[in-house]
Amino acid sequence: MSKATADWKRVGDRFYRSIRLYTDVFAPDLELENYIVVGAPYSGAVALYRDESKIFAPRGSQAVGTKATIDLYSCAGRLIRQIPRDRGALAAVGWSEDERLLVVGQDGEVRSYADLGTDFTPFSLGHEAEEYGVKSCRFWGTGFVALLGNNRFVAVTRYDEPRPQALASAPPGEVISWAVVPPEYTSSRSVEVLLAVGRTVHVVDAAESEDRGLQAGPFRHIAVSPNGKFIALYTDDGKVWVISSDFQERFSEYDSRVKTPPKDLQWCGNNAVVLAWEDEIHLVGPSGSATSFEYDGFVHLVPDVDGIRVMTNDVCDFWQKVPDACEEVWRLGSSSPASVLVDAVEMLEKKSAKADENIQLIRGNLDEAVNVCVRAAGQEYSVHRQKQLLKAASFGKSVLELYNSDDYVDMTEVLRVLNAVRFYEIGVPVSYDQYIRLTPERLVQRLVNRQEYLLALKISEFLRLPVDKIYVAWARQKVRSSSTDEESICEEIVRKLNGQRGISFEEVAHAAYEDGRGSMAIQLLEHEPRAGKQVPLLLSLGEEGGALDKAIDSGDTDLIFWVLLNLKKKMPLSTFFRTINSRPVASAIVEASAIEQDQEVLKDLYYQDDRRVDGSNLLLSEALSASDTNGSADKLKMAAKLLRDSKDHAPQVAALEDAQKLLKFQEAFERDLQGESFVGLSVNETMGKLVRLGHGKRGMKVKEEFKVGEKGWAWVRLRALVGRREWRELEELSKGRKSAIGWEPYFNEILGAGNPKVAALFIPKCTNLAVNERIEMWLKCGLVKNAAEEALKAKDREKLEELRGKASGQGVVEVERMINLLGRGR
Amino acid sequence: MAAHPAVKAINTQEITEKARRGLLQLLEAVRGKKNLVIERSLAGTIGLFVKFSTLQEYGVDKIFFLENHNVDSSQRNIIFLCRGESAKTARMVAEQIKLVRSESQIDHEFSIIWVPRRTRVSDMVLEEHGTLGEATISQLQLHFIPLEQDVLSLELDTAVHDLYLRKDPTCIFASAQALMRLQKQYGLFPRILGKGDNAKKLADLLQKMRSEEEVNAAADSNNSYLTSFGLTPSSVIENLIIIDRDVDFPTVLSTQLTYEGLIDENYGITNNQTEVESSILGGAPAQPQSQNGTTQAPATATKRKLQLDTSDKLYPSLRDANFATIGPTLNRTARRLQSDQQNIHNQDQSIADLKSFVSKLPSYQAEQASLKIHTSLAEELMKVTRSELFNQMLEVQQNLLAGSDPSATHENIEELIARDVPFKTVLRLLCLESCLSNGIRSRDLENFKRQILQAYGFQHVLTLANLEKMGLLVPRESHRGYLNPIGSAAGQTATDWNALRKGLKLWVDDVQEDDPNDVAYVFSGFAPLSVRLVQCILQKSQLYNLVNQPRQPSSAPTGTGWKGFEDVVARIRGATVDVTQKGHDADASHARKTLRGSKEGPKISLVFFLGGVTFAEIAALRLVSAQMEEKEGRKIVIMTTGLVNGGRAVGTAVEKREFGQ
Repeated sequence: MSKATADWKRVGDRFYRSIRLYTDVFAPDLELENYIVVGAPYSGAVALYRDESKIFAPRGSQAVGTKATIDLYSCAGRLIRQIPRDRGALAAVGWSEDERLLVVGQDGEVRSYADLGTDFTPFSLGHEAEEYGVKSCRFWGTGFVALLGNNRFVAVTRYDEPRPQALASAPPGEVISWAVVPPEYTSSRSVEVLLAVGRTVHVVDAAESEDRGLQAGPFRHIAVSPNGKFIALYTDDGKVWVISSDFQERFSEYDSRVKTPPKDLQWCGNNAVVLAWEDEIHLVGPSGSATSFEYDGFVHLVPDVDGIRVMTNDVCDFWQKVPDACEEVWRLGSSSPASVLVDAVEMLEKKSAKADENIQLIRGNLDEAVNVCVRAAGQEYSVHRQKQLLKAASFGKSVLELYNSDDYVDMTEVLRVLNAVRFYEIGVPVSYDQYIRLTPERLVQRLVNRQEYLLALKISEFLRLPVDKIYVAWARQKVRSSSTDEESICEEIVRKLNGQRGISFEEVAHAAYEDGRGSMAIQLLEHEPRAGKQVPLLLSLGEEGGALDKAIDSGDTDLIFWVLLNLKKKMPLSTFFRTINSRPVASAIVEASAIEQDQEVLKDLYYQDDRRVDGSNLLLSEALSASDTNGSADKLKMAAKLLRDSKDHAPQVAALEDAQKLLKFQEAFERDLQGESFVGLSVNETMGKLVRLGHGKRGMKVKEEFKVGEKGWAWVRLRALVGRREWRELEELSKGRKSAIGWEPYFNEILGAGNPKVAALFIPKCTNLAVNERIEMWLKCGLVKNAAEEALKAKDREKLEELRGKASGQGVVEVERMINLLGRGR
Repeated sequence: MAAHPAVKAINTQEITEKARRGLLQLLEAVRGKKNLVIERSLAGTIGLFVKFSTLQEYGVDKIFFLENHNVDSSQRNIIFLCRGESAKTARMVAEQIKLVRSESQIDHEFSIIWVPRRTRVSDMVLEEHGTLGEATISQLQLHFIPLEQDVLSLELDTAVHDLYLRKDPTCIFASAQALMRLQKQYGLFPRILGKGDNAKKLADLLQKMRSEEEVNAAADSNNSYLTSFGLTPSSVIENLIIIDRDVDFPTVLSTQLTYEGLIDENYGITNNQTEVESSILGGAPAQPQSQNGTTQAPATATKRKLQLDTSDKLYPSLRDANFATIGPTLNRTARRLQSDQQNIHNQDQSIADLKSFVSKLPSYQAEQASLKIHTSLAEELMKVTRSELFNQMLEVQQNLLAGSDPSATHENIEELIARDVPFKTVLRLLCLESCLSNGIRSRDLENFKRQILQAYGFQHVLTLANLEKMGLLVPRESHRGYLNPIGSAAGQTATDWNALRKGLKLWVDDVQEDDPNDVAYVFSGFAPLSVRLVQCILQKSQLYNLVNQPRQPSSAPTGTGWKGFEDVVARIRGATVDVTQKGHDADASHARKTLRGSKEGPKISLVFFLGGVTFAEIAALRLVSAQMEEKEGRKIVIMTTGLVNGGRAVGTAVEKREFGQ
């Protein structure tokens, strides 16, 4: 067994290691130098496509006429998928962190391939991109920036709903190199572009472009570290600079002393930069120290968050800084507790007594040593060394009295998973750090993308993760690829998926639908427990009634309305009405929305359903909105006509006719009484206004014409007269013999208007009231004498005496007299 | 009222805070200065939890109302904040985006924040207008907003209109979503009770959502474990009682007689604010108005906004009292403040006394200011309640509620019509009669209709048709099951009010307005049916004793749910809901209980008013809650789609246009 440090390289005071992940990666006749290689983050798939700038002779398998493809490989070189290229020239190909492949054409059209499939969703980068063409792109985890032919940048920050956004315009001049800082690492929280133009670097974001004022350019390469804190620049004179991303500090400088500029410059983790020439790489560590390494073939760099993969036809290596835990354990001459612990276990295997000695030596730091061993095990790729470290850890913790084994147990679980996916047939050489960042769920998703359903299932069960998505993905695949009869596929799927929690049959059905197997889709959809989810698919399957029913089932009014809007577009109106007719909720929603925006539809609906009153009311509503009285009258006529046939609606017909009549009257009044407006008033208001204007006769006529009740008329007239201060006429009224509303209102209204004299005229007429009330009324008019007379009439001595107190001047005498009168009378 | 230690209520603070954070985060996501275009009805709601100054800190430059169509191009970023459920709103947004885009020189960045969710319909509308790709779309899950510690509202002010006039169940779904979120946080409501057809729909929807939630939770890899844990019965909430407004419209139609209720009736309260003429409050010092920012529209100079919530010193103790008792209470307070003041002036004081006084000074001043405001307001209201028309109206109303022969009141109503009292007042009385006697005799109704049309205008043919659609003003039909109450429980379409008056003691003659002991105090005699229904479930023995007063207090019904009152409840229209929710996972339920550490059962009852609640009912339920808290340490939290009163309820039916306008 080779030593752990065999593949270590010393760079300055740090150690870097290259781990040979896979050998025999690509077919030997694949001319890698003619290809562009881009890898998905977290050890994801690798996309290979022809570099069109290079001339090549078609030969062998690459026969003339075969279509160009983008080939997706695993890191171990297993071909996963071939994506046909049927469009114009490519500008760039890139990945997102959820392994979505983005293919950007020079015409600005982007195709986004999710889940390593061949189905894509296209979107465009906008007019400018179409016009000037896309030159190149830079990708980060959740978005990308495209450089257009006119030196403008367009950014896309999300793929679920891509919205290309133009950044501030960049300075003119040839762009020598450029890079992006992902939004999560910038202070503005929006993506920034670093762009080398002339001798300097500009920073461009959504709002502005700023010259950073460097002098040492032109910079052939520019790269941003994975954590966004550092920038590496390659100058024309062969130097590598590392500076902070705010351009404030310069950390190191390295002179490659090579005349030809490297073909690529990338970060290896956050602390080293890798330069690549044809078959040679330089690894530049902090403080400018470096090491170089030569490969047998043409190299491609695939950077990742914690290191960099180097791929040639033959091998796939992973370069990274030796993790601290590993360094602590394995470094030559290390006397760290962990290293001693590992030694001790070796001794133990040799049955040497030194084992115990060693343990005693590190007794005090034993728990620390165990922790380091566990951590180091996670960083190892060799199963042998993983075991060695875990054994040490296990031994160490058996010595400790108290130790929380959670980390240890977790690590053993993780390592099982890591080793399983690193296996060359799977080809996902994910490191421990990458795994933590990727999360187990997304790792499982990647396995599903590779159609490794069984492994995905096993891992999910092992890690107690939900498995529904795996089953669904399997079923989708099954639906697509099986050629056996639909009945049996469906049966098999249902048998396998039933009883699993949270299965989305809708997704499976969708796959069937996309595959053109409509009836199977419907059949599968039956099993979907969420009514709402079934709706869109049923709609696309042409099951309109079913879709509407399911939408109503779900209770989600948005969904119901959405289906209805779709149906209305699809169907003839009469069919549409028939569809909603039997579903009250649906018709209610159609009606409610139509009232707000589309009254014509409403008319048709009412007509079709023979809802005459509603139809008539609609016309009435139009009459109200009409611009002139003629229009109103016409609509009112129509509204009345609609109802005339039926006896039940006689009162409403009468009202509608009265409304027309009133309008006519009011117009006539407006003509006769210049300057006064009547239209819009009610019958009572019209009468009131006429009386108030002194046209009592006309008011009376309205009363007769509209058969207004006596009481109503009396009130209206009273209020109008009082409002007009028409005391004379009111006095006249007091001579009347009968009143429909009694006389008290007259008293109250007139008194309220501030005329006690006239009000008092009505008191004697209120014969239906009690004496005391009448006395009150007199008092309210300030007529104590009359009040007293009233009391005298009622022979109420007490009241009289009470009144005496209220009287003044002559009044007192009068009241006194009356008391005496009463006294005598007794 | 000392909070019972065992009661841990729904954390309203947290809800407010969450809403606030959510909104600010969305605003922050748009870089730089921005103009905010907000739907008018949403503005007040937002104002409940975010101040204008805070919005400014987050880069909001100007605020426009969506309805005003006046967005300008002063900022590059324009954010729309609107309710996503309505196609009409979506259309307005789309049109304005198009307008701004075509008129402005600048290349604008549009964002739309849909409340409470982004809908398919809104997407479709935007797409039809060609604006879907133009805007960054996000959603703000704004559901319940706390108006007070014990009142959560969805603030859907069109609920009555949608639900009862248009029969559009959108707000039922919105309620279900909001309740579902509550369940996710606090656990399943162990029991769902309710009355009314819409209550049944809501309960069914909750059940359905729950089963779908289980599917979703399993599919959601992030927190499957946590969400399944959430779907076990709650240990905080005992039950949910859903009251469909349709069951009890008379309570809404009646004039509220509590202080807060009367303010609402006369000036209107929205989002805890009312607007009164400043001349009324004349003397009051110009307080630093809690500028709830979103109200940028220049209120007419004579109006003044008044914040009505617990931030006011006196208001909490006044709001729920019967208006008849307000005068004495204010007097007492005035005297107390005066004596405080004298204490200061009279005594020789040590420095320590002075210090303690100075520290109390701000609160003292606040109290004084508040006293001044409420005294002027109460005086103003007094003018109304003393007016002849008010009393005539009240007389009709109380007679109807007490169950006397409605035809005796007809003359009074006719007089009110002839005297041209506000239209809504008349409608409320007529609707009240119609509701309480399951329709008005055809001949009488036609007569009233004629008079109304003549007095208020023929356009109200539409108003009357709307009211009939809402079931508020209908002709009596012989077959409405009224005469034959022994129908099937679900099929009941009419309420037997006479039986209820007896069976639930809806009318209390000797009502104590001062120091009330029964909920009937809020209407000076009438006990709201909705609250009685709640009492059927939560205060069984008390209600039983009240109903059976003359007899010996025999065995009061025990048990839970509707038990003991099934017969009476069956005489009310609409379906009766009673659902028990159990968790799938007994272990998780147990774990939840242990974690909460409470050995006793859950303590909170949620009462949800579908279609709105009145301030009077809130006051009544607060009384019930206080009684329960004192006795058994339990509490009620009121939830609703929004606040409603009679004016607003019939107002949705009123045709606002006139001829020739």
